[in-house]
Amino acid sequence: MDETVAEFIKRTILKIPLNELTTILKAWDFLSENQLQTVNFRQRKESVVQHLIHLCEEKRASLNDAALLDIIYTQFHQHQKVWDVFQMSKGPGEDVDLFDMKQFKNSFKKILQRALKNVTVSFRETEENAVWIRIAWGTQYTKPNQYKPTYVVYYSQTPYAFKSSSTLRRNTPLLGQALTVASKHHQIVKMDLRSRYLDSLKAIVFKQYNQTFETHNSATPLQERSLGLDINMDSRIIHENIVEKERVQRITQETFGDYPQPQLEFAQYKLETKFKSDLNGSILAEREEPLRCLIKFSSPHLLEALKSLAPAALFSRIQKLLCYSASHSQGTQDLSSYVPLYTRC
Amino acid sequence: MEQANPLRPDGESKGGVLAHLERLENQTSRSRKRSEAQAQERVLGTKIQKLRHLRDDPRAALWHRRGSVKACIANVEPNRTVEVNEQEALEEKLENVKAILQAYHFTGLSGKLTSRGVCVCINTAFEGNLLDSYFVDLVIQKPLRIHHHSVPVFIPLEEIAAKYLQTNIQHFLFSLCEYLNAYSGRKYQADRLQSDFAALLTGPLQRNPLCNLLSFTYKLDPGGQSFPFCARLLYKDLTATLPTDVTVTCQGGEALSTSWEEQRASHETLFCTKPLHQVFASFARREKLEMSLVS
Repeated sequence: MDETVAEFIKRTILKIPLNELTTILKAWDFLSENQLQTVNFRQRKESVVQHLIHLCEEKRASLNDAALLDIIYTQFHQHQKVWDVFQMSKGPGEDVDLFDMKQFKNSFKKILQRALKNVTVSFRETEENAVWIRIAWGTQYTKPNQYKPTYVVYYSQTPYAFKSSSTLRRNTPLLGQALTVASKHHQIVKMDLRSRYLDSLKAIVFKQYNQTFETHNSATPLQERSLGLDINMDSRIIHENIVEKERVQRITQETFGDYPQPQLEFAQYKLETKFKSDLNGSILAEREEPLRCLIKFSSPHLLEALKSLAPAALFSRIQKLLCYSASHSQGTQDLSSYVPLYTRC
Repeated sequence: MEQANPLRPDGESKGGVLAHLERLENQTSRSRKRSEAQAQERVLGTKIQKLRHLRDDPRAALWHRRGSVKACIANVEPNRTVEVNEQEALEEKLENVKAILQAYHFTGLSGKLTSRGVCVCINTAFEGNLLDSYFVDLVIQKPLRIHHHSVPVFIPLEEIAAKYLQTNIQHFLFSLCEYLNAYSGRKYQADRLQSDFAALLTGPLQRNPLCNLLSFTYKLDPGGQSFPFCARLLYKDLTATLPTDVTVTCQGGEALSTSWEEQRASHETLFCTKPLHQVFASFARREKLEMSLVS
């Protein structure tokens, strides 16, 4: 086994926390059950790693096997990377998409290998019709750098692919071209959507965020939600508050639904607007050109935060602001079309 | 003194007149005030009475109702059996209605009105087997739009909606039903092949999300010496459950004997005309027959 391959496998295994080690090794399916049973996983980590490297050497692990282990590690630790979303499009009147996985893999690899002599491409298919592609980049004269790979998750027979953001930006156009040609599309465009959470990105672009539907079978009665009112207050004031709170809850439920929101960390809007003023001679109102500003909302979980604003009665103000900004915004169109809040105006 | 005298009668009369006027003035103002106060008192009095009525009438009504409810409850006890029968009848009706609504699923297309439109449910089936259900939640507004849905990403929902949703909603729903039923049918065939006829396959079944390209290798006699066949099925029509193009080749075939060539050609025709799992079922039956003939 090549020294570089051994080093690569060693560094990958060292990254894996001990409690995940057996699961990941089983998913890798390179070392047999018998071999794994000979390892004492309760030792110190260095000893465990040494033993595993020894077993890999016995079985003559190749660079491809090592790359596969790296893919599996990344699949378990998706949140450590930031994912961009790319959308491809076909020309008009194109034939039906007869996607052939073998053909796709061959084509993709060939395009990259023709352009850059030194590149390592590995694939791993998952059950949800997605293929994880790992690319380690080299140049005409240097071997591929296995420690800074790019990952692409492509959902076949859809126009969407997710790419891990990397610092090596100069290879992005080539990657885009390889993906487009191999999947028989014409164009590829980067969407204004970025997140650590692949599942949330999927929910947004595939529009799968709400999977509850009304049927005649699901006649669940409206749940009594405690509105947290002070019982000692005058009952007439409580009544007034209840009406308002119920209205707010109904609007929140219609807008956000009952399902868990996709996890977004920030949303950015470009706003171009003119000011209206009652006072004559206001400088802002007299401007000929519209004002351009950038509004950014950020939070560890943006949509849940917005949803919880409703009971805090800040809802209508935020709604007005966002409706206004959405009707004037340019760019970030995909995000605004997703969040139903913004399409209600 | 005399000066005062003449003044006095005048003074008295003047004082008298003025004082009298003053007294009269005071009298009128006092009486005016009194009458005002009295009027106000009367107004307030009527207001108080009104408020009292407002407070007392509902109270009275409430008491009255409580009394009547108590009376009702007292009366109801002996009539319980009648009520129970009524309740059972209602429950039966409810069950009937629920069953009818469920039966709509078998028609393939059903729906339920929602607060903003309708939630359409498409139940797919193939060869009498009820398969997956898909939902499309429509908002009835101008323009008509899809709120959310459970249609898989690779079904061209947006294209169908762009063509038909605004102009002819029936056509939209039927077209979508076609695509979904065809997809379910193809998926069913591929799943059955993988699960029921794994013994005849010599390698894994290659498939894609839409199940419109299937590639596999199979042998008619699993333990035997014959060469395996390679089949490649293309379904270019996404509304069909049978392939449009079939290629069957024989692995390791240089010059194939005519019998193999005949078999190969007949397999191609079979795959084009019958569902996949049925073709394999016929292979399995033939194999069993041959085995029983040999032994």
